Amino acid sequence: MRRFALPLLAASSLLLVVAASAATRPHYGGILRVALRAAPTSLDPADANQADSLARRNISRLMFDTLVTLDNRGGPQPSLATSWEAEPGNQRWHVYLRRDLSFHDGTALTSDAVAASLRAANPNWKVFPLGDAVVVVCDSPDSNLPAELALPRNGIAKRDGKLLGTGPFAVADWQPGKKLTLTARDDYWGGRPFVDSIEIEMGKSFRDQMISFDLGKTDLIEVAPEQARRAAMENRSSVQSSAPLELMALVFARDRQSAEEGRLRQALALGIDRVAMNTVLLQGGGEPAGGLLPNWMSGYAFLFPTDVNLPQARQVRGDLHQASLWTLGYDSADSVARVVAERAALNARDAGLSVQLTASNSADLRLVRVPLVSLDAPVALANLATALGLPQPKFPGDSVDSLYAAETALLDSQRVIPLLHVRVAAGIGPPVKNWTAHADGIWPLQDVWLSTEKP
Amino acid sequence: MTSANYNAVYNAPIPPMPISPSRWLRVACPLLLAALFLATTVARATDWTGPEEQLAHKIAAVTGPGAVAFDATNRSSLTKADFDDIRRGLLVQLAALGLRFVNADQAAATIQVTLSEDQRNYIWVAEIHQGTNQPAVVMASLPRPDAPPPLHEPAGLVLRKALLWSQQDRILDAAVLDGSPSHLVVLDPNQVALYRFQDSRWQPEQSLPITHARPWPRDLRGRLVLRHDHLFDAYLPGFFCRSAATAPLTLTCYPSDDPWPLGTDQFSLSAFFTPARNYFTGALAPGLGKQTTVPAFYSAALLPREKYTLGLFAAVDGQVHLLDGITDRAAGKLGWGSDIAGVKSNCGSGWQVLATRSGDDPNDAVRAYEFPDREPVAVSQPVDFAGNITALWAESTGGGAVAVSHNLETGRYEAFRLTITCGQ
Repeated sequence: MRRFALPLLAASSLLLVVAASAATRPHYGGILRVALRAAPTSLDPADANQADSLARRNISRLMFDTLVTLDNRGGPQPSLATSWEAEPGNQRWHVYLRRDLSFHDGTALTSDAVAASLRAANPNWKVFPLGDAVVVVCDSPDSNLPAELALPRNGIAKRDGKLLGTGPFAVADWQPGKKLTLTARDDYWGGRPFVDSIEIEMGKSFRDQMISFDLGKTDLIEVAPEQARRAAMENRSSVQSSAPLELMALVFARDRQSAEEGRLRQALALGIDRVAMNTVLLQGGGEPAGGLLPNWMSGYAFLFPTDVNLPQARQVRGDLHQASLWTLGYDSADSVARVVAERAALNARDAGLSVQLTASNSADLRLVRVPLVSLDAPVALANLATALGLPQPKFPGDSVDSLYAAETALLDSQRVIPLLHVRVAAGIGPPVKNWTAHADGIWPLQDVWLSTEKP
Repeated sequence: MTSANYNAVYNAPIPPMPISPSRWLRVACPLLLAALFLATTVARATDWTGPEEQLAHKIAAVTGPGAVAFDATNRSSLTKADFDDIRRGLLVQLAALGLRFVNADQAAATIQVTLSEDQRNYIWVAEIHQGTNQPAVVMASLPRPDAPPPLHEPAGLVLRKALLWSQQDRILDAAVLDGSPSHLVVLDPNQVALYRFQDSRWQPEQSLPITHARPWPRDLRGRLVLRHDHLFDAYLPGFFCRSAATAPLTLTCYPSDDPWPLGTDQFSLSAFFTPARNYFTGALAPGLGKQTTVPAFYSAALLPREKYTLGLFAAVDGQVHLLDGITDRAAGKLGWGSDIAGVKSNCGSGWQVLATRSGDDPNDAVRAYEFPDREPVAVSQPVDFAGNITALWAESTGGGAVAVSHNLETGRYEAFRLTITCGQ
């Protein structure tokens, strides 16, 4: 039995690490005002009916701790769990819990509560308490379980009528889809956050967010990827962009029905000008994508071609007798998705294919945007597959070859044509201090503090 | 740790192949080339032999021995020197497996090696093109090293810094006990660690855990104070620890709101610290002259004068307050940060204030100042740190100060001893 453990004391000290801004110690107090485009109607981290987005994850992290967190290199670190170990075969795991923790209402965090929370989020797992630990039995061997425990959906929640977590902030006011007010927990096990409260306005367009930001009414906003560069150049704010964290792709509604249809899909993939999409439509706010995982995560994404090859696309199309008439759906509320879909249709026409845009939900293929859910590459790929409606990838081993083979198999199915990996950008107001970008794009709101000095 | 790491993969060994005399030539030439490569290679900074062997074996398992064209590119953070080194190593390994290197038009296979990386590992990828077949792809991976070791700043400034200790966990304070041998005491959130100077370095001697029921505040602070009747006291927010006087050393800790000593042994001034925050409340014990309160502050420096003690307090409101026992004067914006400390030197007026600087530069600096007429005058060049300073405490003896910085490159905490020397 392997045991993955860090000493408890060392683990707790890691959580106290705070990088203060230069020479000025963090100030306690103040209200952090945040605006988001997403408008979730539920705070439950396990609610699968809510669209996944980075914003939703950011909110979830404030209220619901996970058993494990991932560091900037994707390595699992203790959080509510102090250690974990797998029995031979990696199907049955023992996860040991930190002691003396409580939910927001003061009730103790028990192994029963943790097991119930994990069961709600993972119907395929068997989870049961065992003393100060929980035992997780996966439906198949899973060497990546610690990284899965770090997924936001596995945030530990108590669902006895009122939704409660163990995180650094507690809910003070919740207007679903509109506004969320959180207050700092004085007794948070990782140390009280510096700000007293966070007010999150939801459902705000990028434009409205920027206006509010410029007027000084909001401290922290999302910035559309195609506007990030210009906003930074205009020095309107401190704009920070992440590594590419979101996959934009075309996904076919069904498997290819014939070899000819496969060739048509190949022609479409060859005919798309990803570089122009990135440089013109996204203003460099992403990277052309030939694979599902970005290169910074997999190390091999450069193997998947991204260059447009119109002659070959036309040749492939010309060799076929079957006509193509695909309908392409997209989120009409997403202006970037609209222009990318329009460009994809134009590229298709150049390749001799016919793609018609539609607002219908029953389109032949859809333009989707799927955030990478984890810094752990196999977990990220598995979750991408789920989000795209693809079969679950199989990893015969823990090696990079295995990951490559699994991703190649997903691409070979021709159900998905990757287009871009998009960066996530945030506008950070002058009062916000100690902002430390995390590789997974998560906002470190429990560590930021507000300067009282006027800029 | 977990299997989330992409561990290096080992192919099944290639069965030994008998080498015919005609093959000897084909094998010997590359070997000679390899020997030449090796001869021209100075001692390798990093041993890449293992992953080179892995990748070479995987490539050879696809191509078999024969004529190949080989090219390599670097998409990783490896330096050109490392890249060249690895490229040479791969050629040697491939040659030893019976591959000969020729131009593409003469080759049975074309091998394109790319050195790439992900978050944790170097990923070495070989694409092998043979005829019109889809290229075969084989890979090898190896862990990337952590951030490079900290750089040490050369001495030679009036304000000198000397690295005492570095560790991954946050350092709250450190103190050197002179003696034979010398000892170093390091306070962190979970323990007091004692090190003995032996064989030209600090060797672990004892670790005394600090067990606390309440969670520590963020931006945790703590101070070590060396004592005469026992070894040391450790002050933490809402908590106090006292060491034993004799060996074996023990540590007794308990919740306490007792005031923390300010300044050095020379002053008997203490101040109360907020148990759940990162600053002093402003209540002084017993007081400075007639003054017993000051605005809440982060740090203080005490400078003895002929007839009074000048107290400088870096207040939470961003001002530096000057107290002389009667009046409280805000010094305005001095460009100082939150941390100051008074140190005694044998030069200038005898006492100086060390102050961090304010601003958004993530790399901090400390500079020495004097107060000839209640206005600060810089008396040293700033000493730069490779990150932000998380603690600055005067040593109990007053002869120097301990600064702790969080190195942005390595992520480690580094405790430095700061001293002032004259005439340089």
